[in-house]
Amino acid sequence: MRGEADAKRGVAGSPPPEAEEAARLRIARLVHKAQKRHFTGPWTLFYKEILRFATIAWQTVISPVVTTMLYFLVFGYSLGDRLDEIQGVTYVDFLVPGLVMLALITNAYINSAFSLFIAKIHGTIVDLLVTPLTYTQFMTAYILAAVVRAMLIGGIIWGVALLMGAGVLYNVPVALLFMILTATAFALVGLVIAIVGEDFDHINLLPSFLITPLTFLGGVFYSIEMLPEPWDTVSLFNPVLYMVNGVRYGMVGVSDVPVWHGVVLLVAMNLIFGALAMWLLKTGKKIRE
Amino acid sequence: MSERYTEEALVRVEGVTKRYGELRAVDDVTLEIRPGEIFALLGPNGAGKTTLIGCITGLISQFEGSVDVAGFDVVRDYRITRRLVGLVPQELNYDAFFNVRQVLEFQGGYFGEKPSPERIDELLKQFDLYEKQDANTRWLSGGMKRRLMICKALMHDPALLFLDEPTAGVDVELRDDLWSYVQELRRQGMTIVLTTHYLEEAEELADRIGIINRGRLLRVDARETLMDKLGHRHLDIELGGGGAARWVERFGDLELEALDDRRLRLRYGGVEDKGGELEVDRLLRSLVEGGATIRSVEGGRSSLEEIFRTVLEEDTRRNGAGGER
Repeated sequence: MRGEADAKRGVAGSPPPEAEEAARLRIARLVHKAQKRHFTGPWTLFYKEILRFATIAWQTVISPVVTTMLYFLVFGYSLGDRLDEIQGVTYVDFLVPGLVMLALITNAYINSAFSLFIAKIHGTIVDLLVTPLTYTQFMTAYILAAVVRAMLIGGIIWGVALLMGAGVLYNVPVALLFMILTATAFALVGLVIAIVGEDFDHINLLPSFLITPLTFLGGVFYSIEMLPEPWDTVSLFNPVLYMVNGVRYGMVGVSDVPVWHGVVLLVAMNLIFGALAMWLLKTGKKIRE
Repeated sequence: MSERYTEEALVRVEGVTKRYGELRAVDDVTLEIRPGEIFALLGPNGAGKTTLIGCITGLISQFEGSVDVAGFDVVRDYRITRRLVGLVPQELNYDAFFNVRQVLEFQGGYFGEKPSPERIDELLKQFDLYEKQDANTRWLSGGMKRRLMICKALMHDPALLFLDEPTAGVDVELRDDLWSYVQELRRQGMTIVLTTHYLEEAEELADRIGIINRGRLLRVDARETLMDKLGHRHLDIELGGGGAARWVERFGDLELEALDDRRLRLRYGGVEDKGGELEVDRLLRSLVEGGATIRSVEGGRSSLEEIFRTVLEEDTRRNGAGGER
């Protein structure tokens, strides 16, 4: 058998001439194909990411909605009646934007962080790293999918609140702008953490010790006007306060801080974390080593 | 671009070094892969095979030196080079969220190929995964996961396929099937680079073999040349009457050994060593003329394993026992 194979090979070490010719044709054809731009690649990654959380929607969508609705029932309906209006808004209405943001921030972060980190742990990230997807396409697909999940959850909570009679449609475009910018910012944070993180603790640390505390203290349940000195001033250093109040302005028309401050902060945060994520992906730090 | 690729090499690796702190996982490697060839990269664990493949496929983006595929730089023009290359990585992986068919659809999609059910069916059948197409990839056996990884690497029908120890954990029957499939892919114009511990198969398959150890590419040769340079032949002669030791004494200048009273073994050089053939001629003539009865004559040659060991030993000797750099 070997003799036969050798005969076919011709000169020692050379492939059979017909195989070499076929290879030369194939290479030329694929080089031509590779130079064409297409969106199938990034679309596939985005679609896969959507399907990933959709196949486990009970965990990724329904569960956070149910948890948030419990807050709504307990704080809004049970206790809300005993609380005064805040800046002319009933407590139940005041609470809705806070709860929307609580769920939105957590889920935007978790989606991109866990999805990419699990790919790293299970080794499937290799399947992505060898593809011609550009770094921008890679980042955009992950971020968009996380934003879709966060907006879906935020949207459901907002919708349920409306059905339950809350008056939360003061300026919808402003509310949507804040929701999208916030979801993008935290999805980017999640992506960065997933790239640099080395075990699940690193992924869990940030929500437990930074994101959740900042969100709870960021005016989800109260107005900072209700806080004693110096805590009302200290609160002004919490970036989440600006995000929650931006959405609150869009939903019920009141805010503790100027709305444009929130827009500037969110744009800056998106630029910083977007640049950081891009730099990590381009240099291959932690994932292409 | 013309309709036919005309360069001598498909892949050019030039002076590639990859450092991890003090360690040079790949140390100044220069190598060319030619269109249509099957190239085997052999080396012990930790020799740098996977790291070198990583530099070509894009899994490693920071290294010294340069790599180009079809004339495109793998770092600068990655979008083009990665479209040309397929990789079956060594580490088994699985996507806990999706089934076999979905995973293949996605993998083709990343490369810009719209999902083709026919292509997926063809690969699933070829690799005996058709029945498992709806199974979550998490629940596949090791061998099945390996096969799925091969399917994934073929979804975009690459020009250059890297198989990094693809038969690890795969049963013998499938291994044989895989190797004949590799031959078939090559016939269709795929260039193939493989690393394997099953050296016999590299010997059976590869046109050229590169031996790598401690990050350095020690030798690249045509398989036949490698065998000739380093391979030794032997001839086992079974005598009718015994007295093998007597003949060993008589031919003191030959590398002749008595395996037992009836059997002699003559060792001689590689194929290019014409003197070796004369040794055989001289011994057989003398035996016949000296009245010995020859019951059987059987030839053999050293396996790639033995060659491989020799090259590694030479390398270790050259670099001292510690070999620290």
